[in-house]
Amino acid sequence: MIPIEAVIVLGLLLFAIGTVGVVVRKNLVVMLMSLELLLNGANIVLVGLGRFLDSPRGSIFALFVIIMAVSEAAVGFALVLAYFRQKKRYDVDALDELKG
Amino acid sequence: MITLAVFIFFAVLAVAAAVLVIVQKNAMHSVLYLALTVLSTAGVFFTLQAEYLGAIQILVYAGGIVVLYIFVIVIVNLKEIVPERRRFLPKLILIAVPVAAGVEVAYLLLAKGFPAAGRGGQGLGFTTMAETLFGSYLFPFELASVLLLAVLVGAIIIARRKLVHDPD
Repeated sequence: MIPIEAVIVLGLLLFAIGTVGVVVRKNLVVMLMSLELLLNGANIVLVGLGRFLDSPRGSIFALFVIIMAVSEAAVGFALVLAYFRQKKRYDVDALDELKG
Repeated sequence: MITLAVFIFFAVLAVAAAVLVIVQKNAMHSVLYLALTVLSTAGVFFTLQAEYLGAIQILVYAGGIVVLYIFVIVIVNLKEIVPERRRFLPKLILIAVPVAAGVEVAYLLLAKGFPAAGRGGQGLGFTTMAETLFGSYLFPFELASVLLLAVLVGAIIIARRKLVHDPD
C-alpha cells in the first residue's frame, strides 16, 4: 500500500520543478515542456487521491487534464512556429515587443 | 510491499528526469528526458492502479505530444542554444519561491497527516470508471471533443504560412 503522502509529495516535487523551469528558462520550447511537467505533477496528485478515496473521479479529472495538455501543446507550438517565422528567434526576450 | 518499491523506483526516475529536463542546454535532450519523465509517470499510474490513465499517458503523451515536440524542434531548427543570461540573485529568487512553496506544503502534509480515508480496496477497474465517465461526465466529455476540434482549427490557422485575404 502506497502512502498518500508519498504520492502527493511526488506530485508536488514535479510541480515545483515545472514551475522553476517555466520561470527560469528563456527558451520557449523548454518552457512549454516545463508546463507539461507541471500538469504531470497535478495528474499524479489527482490519480493518487482518486485511488485513496476509492473514487473513479480522480482518473476522470486527470483524463481531462491530459486533454487540456494536448490542446495547450498544439496551440502553443502553433504560436511558437508563427513567432519564429516572424522573428527567427524563440526566446522570451524577443517577445517583449508584443502589443495588445 | 513490491508495489511500494516499484512506486519509489518510478518516482525517483520521474523526479531525476524532470530535473534533467530543465537543466539541459540542448532542447532535444530536454525532450528525451521529458519522454522519460512521462513514461515514469505512467509507471506511477500503474502502481496506483489507474491502468487506463497509464495507457493513455503512454499513447497520448509519449506517442503524441513528445513526437510533436520533436517535430517542432526540428522545424524551428533549435540547434543554436538560447543563451540563458540572467543575473544570479533573480535566478536564485525564482528558484527559491517554488521550492519554498513545495517544502511548505510537504511539511504541512507530513506534520498533520493527510485525512484521506484509504480503504485499501482492490482498486476500481475499468468498469466503474467507464460508467462514471459516460454517465455523470458525459457532457464534459463531449465538450472536450469540441475543444479538440477548435484546437485543431486554431492551430492550423495560427501556424499557417500566409494569412487568408480577408475582405473585411
